[in-house]
Amino acid sequence: MMSCPYCGYKNREGVMFCEECGQGLKAEVANAVLPTRQLETASTNLAARATWGTARFGQDASIIIHIRDATDPVVLQPAKKTVMGRADATSPQKPDLDLTPYGALEKGVSRTHAAIYRSEDTLTLVDMGSANGTHLNGQRLVPDQPRILRDGDEIRLGKLVAHVYFK
Amino acid sequence: MASGIDPYTTLGIAKDATQDDIKAAYRRVARRLHPDVNQNNPGAAAQFQDITAAYELLTDDDRKRNHDTQIVKRPTGENYNFTLRVTPSKRAIMPLPEPQVIYLLAEILPDPRARDQEQKRESRLNLTLVLDHSNSMNGTRLDKVKVAAHQIIDQMTGEDILSIVSFNDRAEVIIPATPVDNKHALKAKVSMMNAAGGTEIFKGLSAGFEQNRRYLGPKLVNHIVLLTDGNTFGDHESCIELARKATELGICISAMGLGQEWNDEFLDELASTTGGTSSYINSASAVIRFLNDHVRNLSNAFAERVRLSIAPDPDVKLESAFKLAPHPQPLTTNDGYLQLGSLQANRLISVLLQFQMPANMTLGFRSIARLVAAGDILANQQQQFQGLSDISLEIIEQPPAEDPPIAILDALGKLTLYRMQERAQEALASGDVREATRRLENLATRLLAIGEEDLAHQARAEARRVAHTSNLSDKGRKTLKYETRFLLLGASASSEESSP
Repeated sequence: MMSCPYCGYKNREGVMFCEECGQGLKAEVANAVLPTRQLETASTNLAARATWGTARFGQDASIIIHIRDATDPVVLQPAKKTVMGRADATSPQKPDLDLTPYGALEKGVSRTHAAIYRSEDTLTLVDMGSANGTHLNGQRLVPDQPRILRDGDEIRLGKLVAHVYFK
Repeated sequence: MASGIDPYTTLGIAKDATQDDIKAAYRRVARRLHPDVNQNNPGAAAQFQDITAAYELLTDDDRKRNHDTQIVKRPTGENYNFTLRVTPSKRAIMPLPEPQVIYLLAEILPDPRARDQEQKRESRLNLTLVLDHSNSMNGTRLDKVKVAAHQIIDQMTGEDILSIVSFNDRAEVIIPATPVDNKHALKAKVSMMNAAGGTEIFKGLSAGFEQNRRYLGPKLVNHIVLLTDGNTFGDHESCIELARKATELGICISAMGLGQEWNDEFLDELASTTGGTSSYINSASAVIRFLNDHVRNLSNAFAERVRLSIAPDPDVKLESAFKLAPHPQPLTTNDGYLQLGSLQANRLISVLLQFQMPANMTLGFRSIARLVAAGDILANQQQQFQGLSDISLEIIEQPPAEDPPIAILDALGKLTLYRMQERAQEALASGDVREATRRLENLATRLLAIGEEDLAHQARAEARRVAHTSNLSDKGRKTLKYETRFLLLGASASSEESSP
């Protein structure tokens, strides 16, 4: 329960605006929405920054993958197709990005799990028919159907969580 | 399952999946959607039927082979599609000993290739205007309606079908469903309308329905526009029944209320049952703009009969659904589907969903809901198309700090205002005058804070009126309701611009 600082009404957790008086319940919520007039004029900028990052991926850009519980991020320059998965002695195929050092086996990452494709100036993420699925921002991908990857997106292979940033 | 929908997408598997894969995928989804664990969940029931039909098709060798060869024949590049994108308000939440709320923003985006062809009109209309010509329409109102009808006739081409029905206490077919060839003759017929009699919406609506049905076709945008300025008595039920029937056939009904006397709750329900829109037109001169805009949007349709089915997990509850764009309005489910009407080539549809998550969730990843958006893409040979989205969250003791997406935040801030006026009216309906006054005063404060001065004054005036007379004025009631709804237009625009 969260008590509204303005009227004391008890709202359920997760509610962002008091159901009684309509005030924003958290400081950042209140600040973000109060100046609505300005927000509307500046909305293109703000929305692009805070909802989902740019999808534009330049010529010499590289991606930085922060894998949860790993100390150092992985930095790579994606080729036309970058396969992510888990190298395995029994499998002849080697993924371009081997996730074994990050506990891929326990976290249910498939040998060939997902791939990042590079086109003109965007990146797309494709699930390659993995056993435990690929999620992009919480949304499970249908195998073989590409989704655009954006700066700041959260991807999840099985139970392995990573955040992707463009540089 | 409708025949045109791809069974592989329905089950979320690749085209080269083996029989084992198919079985495993079916079991995984069926466990979640099975009617035994989902009582009172029409969304899950509808989706369960779909996946079962897909499973039966794919496990029957003959039918599977048949289906697979058809896919090969169909060049995929030439087909348009749409995308369903769902953004949760948070990607990770804490387990709590009490229920908590989570929001999902579901957006249906038209094919970007269709946007480039905006100039070329793809969709043909099968439009029926059902116009009120009761006594109260006499004078300026009817004149403006005639002007609007003339302009609509001018907009249309010989490819489009138009019919016009006028009604008071009985219905008269002014223009039977016909291609718009001889514009002068059609306009002349419109000009002869006279105001007389009372208002019986069902008579007009059913006559309009019959006209629209004559040219009903999958390649057309089948749409009825009802324009009225009065309340109808005793035939609400039959109107809603008719709307259900229209939805099944793929006809959409939009309702426009002119002036103050019409029944907003009824028209809202009528429109949202079919996926149409409902609008409040406060002055006669605005009729022309409203009707013209409406018809222009229709002729820009990319997909028709768009609907969203939502199957929350058994312990998750869908609390409300609100359409933010293109036309803000509350949605009601009908046999497990939210009817969303048409998807325009240049604008997305966005829907804000509120869910309640259960108390004491176990740690780890969990699914919350499965969303399926289906619709008929007008330019495609094989029209039916669906997009699927399975949403899951992480339950974690210490979720990383993250700001909710601005698009959700902005929409919610404004939706809260709409809810506040709704709750004020509920309080008033249950006779709690003091509560209603307080809610209206709160609303006025919030409106002032976001810079909506005029609306804030209206709210304050209505609060005073309620305190003294225990009643809202008809005008104030409708203004608050539809204007707070309209605030959401700005909110949805921001998410639109950041889309690819």
